[in-house]
Amino acid sequence: MSSESTIEKATKEKSRAAEEAEERDEDEEEEEERDSDSGSGDSDDGDDGDDDGASSDAATKPMSMIDASPKEKAALDRPSSLAMTWTITRRELAAYFNSVITYIVISASMVGLGLFFYMYKGGFWQVDRVTMQRMFDFLPFALCFLVIPLFTMRALSDEKRVGTIELLITMPVKDSEVILGKYFAALAIVTVQLGLVVLYPIAMFKWPWHLGELDWGAFWVGMSGLFFLSATGTAVGLMYSSFTESQILSFFATMLTLTGIYALGTLSAVESLQGWPGDAISFISLQSRFEPFARGLLDSRAIVYFVSIAVLCLVVAFHALERRKWS
Amino acid sequence: MSTDVMIYASGLTKRYGSFRALDDVSFEVRRGEIVGFLGPNGAGKSTTMRILTCFIAPTSGTAKVRGQDVFDDTLAVRSSLGYLPQRAPLYLEMTVFEYLRFSARVRNLDESTFKKRARAVVEICGLAQSLSKEIRQLSHGYRQRVGLAQALIHDPPILILDEPTSDLDPNERTEFLNYLKQIGKDRTVLLSTHNLKEVEAACARAIIVSRGRVVADGPLDEIRAKSGRVRYVVSIQESVGDTPYRGKGTPPRQTEVEHALNSLAGVKKVNELPTDERAHAYELAGEDATDLRPEIFRLIADKGWVLLELHRDTQTLEDVFRQLTIGDERRNRQLGPVKDDDRRARDEEEDEDDEDEDEDESDDDEDSDSDDSDSDDDGKRNKR
Repeated sequence: MSSESTIEKATKEKSRAAEEAEERDEDEEEEEERDSDSGSGDSDDGDDGDDDGASSDAATKPMSMIDASPKEKAALDRPSSLAMTWTITRRELAAYFNSVITYIVISASMVGLGLFFYMYKGGFWQVDRVTMQRMFDFLPFALCFLVIPLFTMRALSDEKRVGTIELLITMPVKDSEVILGKYFAALAIVTVQLGLVVLYPIAMFKWPWHLGELDWGAFWVGMSGLFFLSATGTAVGLMYSSFTESQILSFFATMLTLTGIYALGTLSAVESLQGWPGDAISFISLQSRFEPFARGLLDSRAIVYFVSIAVLCLVVAFHALERRKWS
Repeated sequence: MSTDVMIYASGLTKRYGSFRALDDVSFEVRRGEIVGFLGPNGAGKSTTMRILTCFIAPTSGTAKVRGQDVFDDTLAVRSSLGYLPQRAPLYLEMTVFEYLRFSARVRNLDESTFKKRARAVVEICGLAQSLSKEIRQLSHGYRQRVGLAQALIHDPPILILDEPTSDLDPNERTEFLNYLKQIGKDRTVLLSTHNLKEVEAACARAIIVSRGRVVADGPLDEIRAKSGRVRYVVSIQESVGDTPYRGKGTPPRQTEVEHALNSLAGVKKVNELPTDERAHAYELAGEDATDLRPEIFRLIADKGWVLLELHRDTQTLEDVFRQLTIGDERRNRQLGPVKDDDRRARDEEEDEDDEDEDEDESDDDEDSDSDDSDSDDDGKRNKR
């Protein structure tokens, strides 16, 4: 296990660092990102430059603009899908950071984690080992029960309720870009939350305190497990959010679904089940999928499971959004 | 010539369950036209606009914007449109500037083009003072301005505006309509509104929809003449009062005048209008084809009466609008039968769900608008 985890440690640390870098970009370096973004957008299709030129001319001679812009160009005059998704993601992130709920959820779950980790049943001190195991007991539940539902509930519901979706969708945006943009934004926020959680072990084992030598490899594997779990949970939340105009409904549906399929694996009644029912339940349960990660094992089958559920939910959300056309 | 058709709709039908929100709507809008899209609440204006902007799909029928199908080439269609939905639904937590920058990014404007365009639209929409305010802090009128600004930011060849002036004050309206006329010369504008004066001020052509159907489509003059009725107002001096009577003999009696006017060829109906004791005033309904004024004058001159006033009105747009869409209102208020029988038969089946879901939310706000036009009309209605 140790050799396995050291390899994984290296790769995982790298990807983790990349993720964190992304987050920092999103938070602080909007300006730079925007520049590089518009640059990439232009390089994607050369026609863009021409079109922009034409429309800036239009201020002076609008007639010539209309004459000079045939249909083909109009069709191309949109950013690349990547840039478009990023534009939407960035708008969503700004909305998240503008909302009080974000700060409340993040600080409440930090406090909650702290209380559970140090106080509950004697806490970390009782365990008497250098491990973050207790954190991996607590966080999945917190994520499923509150964090993810709260972060995803307004994603699409609110837009539908207020009607902003109409303005968004009638811009030259693909429905898939809307879904993905919103998904990445919600996932980024959950990742920020996870990133903040890392402060705990850092404070305990690196600086300012040195309570012992933590197996950082296993820890990062656990964190990556949480990340995949969040990726799935966020997709589920987004899906429910695309079904309804009510944030409350979306919140409870997400909470019940996630908590339900997570808790399914922890029920002792289920554990005692023999044969295929038990297997089926542990196949579905988020908990049994997450378990190996908590123990420091990178389980590729679980990753496939998490990712495919996420993709499935996003596809469903996409179709739910398209359904407006027909209903 | 056909390339000039910017918006083309053919046989658009939209059903919500058994309710037909749109029923075989067809029209064309050419480049350089500003078309007023009129109709009572729930008539299908917003539904049509949503189909044209690719927000919803029609149950049947086709629509093309700049020759591109709204169903197959949605991205191309949407990128050549500027759209302002009803009530300007904007992201409330963004500032005006952020919102404009967001829509510019989605429209693929680079930073320098955006700055140039932003300066222009901010001036047009009068947003200079509010750029850094959050949209939630703005009044409805200002939100509508922001909505307009985002529709104009990419300088689109086609503008679709769903009640763009409903929250503006009279000064802003006038300003906006003037601006619209100015940019409308080489653009295509489809503008829905309840306010008929706006249509008369800004549009050369109107499309009137009622219960999901186009009931009138054409230049305003043509629509005004559509009902084929012309009104003449005649008043004749009756009593001497302070001023001396200048006619032959004694002033005529009311019945005498009424009888004489009724016997004129081409007069369909004579109504007495409320007047004081010094004059008889009558409203005559005539055929459109011939001008009855010479006849009326001749008659009165021959009788030796004193003519105080004689003028001829073609119907106002409001009259026509009311006449064409009256069925809607009667139905909504559950009043008795409407003259158009075949329509009614169909509606009876559908009466239960005749409220268009999409229009529901906005009904409250719009009521005030339509009440305005009602009260404008009241005077005329009383006279009839």
